[in-house]
Amino acid sequence: MAPGVKDSLRAITPSQSNQVSNEGDVIKVFIRVRPPTEGPVLNNGEHPGMCLSVLTSNTLRLHSKPEPKIFTFDHVADMDTTQESVFSSVAKGIVESCMNGYNGTIFAYGQTGSGKTFTMMGPSESDNFTHNLRGVIPRSFEYLFFLIDREKEKAGAGKTFLCKCSFIEIYNEQIFDLLDSASTGLLLREHIKKGVCVVGAVEQVVTSAAEAYQVLSGGWRNRRVAATSMNRESSRSHAVFTITVESMEKNNDVVNIRSSQLNLVDLAGSERQKDTHTEGLRLKEAGNINRSLSCLGQVITALVDVGNGKQRHVCYRDSKLTFLLRDSLGGNAKTAIIANVHPGSKCFGETLSTLNFAQRAKLIKNKAVVNEDMQGNV
Amino acid sequence: MATPAAWAAACEKFRASLSLSQVESQKDPENDPYKSKYRARELLQEVKALLGPAADEDEDEEAVGGNGDGPGAEEGPAAERAGPGVGAEPSARAVRLAAVELQLGLNHIDTEELAAGEEHLQNCLRLVRRSRLEPAAVSLHLQAQNNLGILWSERDEIETAQTYLESAEALYNQYMKEIGNPPLDPNEHFLPEEEKLTEQERSRRFEKAYTHTLYYLAQVYQHLEMIEKAAQYCHTTLKRQLEYSGYHPVEWAINAATLSQYYINKQCFMESRHCLSAASVIFSQAEQTPSTEDTEAEQEQQDLCQRRAEIARCWIKYCLSLLQSAQASLEDNIGELDLDKQSELKARRKREEDEKEKMRKKVVLFGTSDVCDAILAMEEKVACVPPLDFREAREVFLVGQNYVCEAKEYFQVDGYITDHIEIVQDHSSLFKVLAFFEEDYERRCKMHKRRIDMLEPLTVDLNPQYYLLINRQLQFELAHTYYEMMDLKVAIANRLEELDSHTIKKINSLAQSAIKYYELFLDSLKDPNKVFPEQLGEDVLRPALVAKFHIARLYGKLITCDGRKELDNMQASLEYYTFLVDYCEKYPEAVRAVETELELSKEMAGLLPAKMERLRAKLSPFT
Repeated sequence: MAPGVKDSLRAITPSQSNQVSNEGDVIKVFIRVRPPTEGPVLNNGEHPGMCLSVLTSNTLRLHSKPEPKIFTFDHVADMDTTQESVFSSVAKGIVESCMNGYNGTIFAYGQTGSGKTFTMMGPSESDNFTHNLRGVIPRSFEYLFFLIDREKEKAGAGKTFLCKCSFIEIYNEQIFDLLDSASTGLLLREHIKKGVCVVGAVEQVVTSAAEAYQVLSGGWRNRRVAATSMNRESSRSHAVFTITVESMEKNNDVVNIRSSQLNLVDLAGSERQKDTHTEGLRLKEAGNINRSLSCLGQVITALVDVGNGKQRHVCYRDSKLTFLLRDSLGGNAKTAIIANVHPGSKCFGETLSTLNFAQRAKLIKNKAVVNEDMQGNV
Repeated sequence: MATPAAWAAACEKFRASLSLSQVESQKDPENDPYKSKYRARELLQEVKALLGPAADEDEDEEAVGGNGDGPGAEEGPAAERAGPGVGAEPSARAVRLAAVELQLGLNHIDTEELAAGEEHLQNCLRLVRRSRLEPAAVSLHLQAQNNLGILWSERDEIETAQTYLESAEALYNQYMKEIGNPPLDPNEHFLPEEEKLTEQERSRRFEKAYTHTLYYLAQVYQHLEMIEKAAQYCHTTLKRQLEYSGYHPVEWAINAATLSQYYINKQCFMESRHCLSAASVIFSQAEQTPSTEDTEAEQEQQDLCQRRAEIARCWIKYCLSLLQSAQASLEDNIGELDLDKQSELKARRKREEDEKEKMRKKVVLFGTSDVCDAILAMEEKVACVPPLDFREAREVFLVGQNYVCEAKEYFQVDGYITDHIEIVQDHSSLFKVLAFFEEDYERRCKMHKRRIDMLEPLTVDLNPQYYLLINRQLQFELAHTYYEMMDLKVAIANRLEELDSHTIKKINSLAQSAIKYYELFLDSLKDPNKVFPEQLGEDVLRPALVAKFHIARLYGKLITCDGRKELDNMQASLEYYTFLVDYCEKYPEAVRAVETELELSKEMAGLLPAKMERLRAKLSPFT
């Protein structure tokens, strides 16, 4: 007899993960290796001080001592990969299933300077959204509206679409609206029809990719960043951009309404965060000790989590992020994680932890445990 | 140290650095989070310069145990006595330097510069290594070790962290055994005489540092997957928090309630109950202290309500697990109450009653006398040994049901769908397990009916796009409940002389409802094009096959006088049985999940065609 579904991300130990059969409920993991900043090239044509090499389109080798480690992912994009090809391998399918009424989520993960922003947004200095180097998000907008227009053409006046955007930030377990800088501490609630919603978040209607991009770049500027002597600039918050696609189809007198969500998530820099509570996806390596006694609860919760399948209740809610994206992390949503790494040797530690995280994410699968206890009444 | 003036300057700088680190840094701008820390670091370096170079004290001899009445603090700058290497008495300069090194170490760790931080902490240890059992040095040594433990955990070297922390633990125990008087606080070395701490305050701070040692060890053991040990250390941490106060009552209560859930998993009901009772007692104390701020009062009230509901939910799980564990021990091989086992267990329990007192002592009790009494009184309200008959089960059930009401007050449908449904599911499970103890089939049926009544309304409005998983659970549970009710009705009918039409109607409608919900569940597995998956995911494999199997059986149970209809039902039944057999043939790894069901399905798939043939022959005798 099992308790309710565990809705938070749960990394399953490799021993339990046998061949995954049903691709709908697995998180796809992509690794993108950014090119190193211009440096000297050795006589043999190699860049000095690289800590990893891409072997095939889904494996890479990390030059760890004493033994090098091989990692396997759904896709590994090397330094020469174009923005266009990242988009088509990661996001295209998710946008398509969004049109078919599925929810979809794309996470970007990686340390500061690993190319997250470049991958998701494009070159930071230009707000120019037609730039050839534009990232996954603008391309997703374009593709989404391209599909919408095509649908409209096919269906004529019988089918209408409505797209709404919201853009929120989770910082220290508080939710802020990036589209309304005056807002503070918004609440998460579950609606019986609409799932999890942020009460009071601004929803902006958009009719084209350019409009959606304007909403995005406006909100992006309101994000919280921090500079330390170790990092140029690091995002200390998770940002979630949500675009809701509603379609209404009239056939004679029957109205068919479909609604789905596309979430684009920029996770806080994976390096040590200022505050242990922001650990939305158990991002940090297991080794960290919380210093404050007020985190005792997290330790106890982890102990309770080990005994699975029994009746129990853990008082600590999922983090705001996992709660908000409950639906993306299993069940009927398509989810992809893009883990960005920097190949330089001095990033070895961060790269290793990013790869380890991505490795674990591959095993994430929401267990829909169905209560069933067969007594021998057969 | 040159002059009193220099000494005064050093004290001043040291204090300023502390306040920068601990107070000012809270207010640092977000785009420059370490501004105060960097400033504090500069001050510490200046203090270090003022103290002059350290005498070389890093000899690795083992310290000689203290003699129990070592003098407390040094008297200002002139009081330097022992030079290096003479006995275990630390020089004033050594402890002061060690205090600065400790602060520098903390500072560098805070600003993400681990290597430098490690060096400073090691310096601190070196300076007081030989005098670590002296009241002047023991806290410094303990805290440096604590922080080295943290540092190595940051580097994912958990075993190294463990070594430091375990040695801190040993140091505390040795000190308390051999010396025991309240030692100086690490920051006291820079306080003027008139600001020296009281014995009580010294003791409080030292105990707090040790509580942290235990808490870090709890985390280390957790990472090393030494779960039991980790739990034990969490438990001790909670206990010490109560003892030395300095805890937040609501937080404490929630932690204790969560820990109770760990004990439930281990089937340690006595420990679990103790944690929960302590949680309830401490929480109710928190509730009685009204908030001072009117503006925050409402938010706080909301918060308290949620916490109360959370603790209630832990209690629900306790009652449910206790009942289920009793059920597991009383079941015979077809899941009914085994009366022989029941009397055997009752006899055994009687024997154990006398040993109960001994058991009690095994539990680490929380709190000091009056809190402890309140906790024990709370415990009286519900048993912690599994109930063995309906009367005892009912008592536990009622406690659980009260907590269900309490939890639902906060977790209402509007805004808390998932939580609300989970609570209702628990309520339904409570009824289910109570029904196990009920010998009267009619009454048992009524209990299952209660489950239907509470679960069915939930599924009406629930949007499966967002609540797919919980929706599946509800469908499955409803199907299963109808199925059980039908079985009960059939069993009741079997005792009757003959079937009346009312009973037949009842059985058929229950079977139809069960089929309906099983089908809904199976539909939820289909892809957007309404195609049933070729191969089932491991998480839904068993439920899906069991659903197929039950539908097959249900079609077999439908009662009809119409031969044609009967033939159709048999046909349907055969199809579902065949599905199961074919699936397991195609995917042999599925066999393990449904061994019993598969065996029966094979048998039925073999028998049904012949049976159908006979029925056909009967229906058309003229061909």
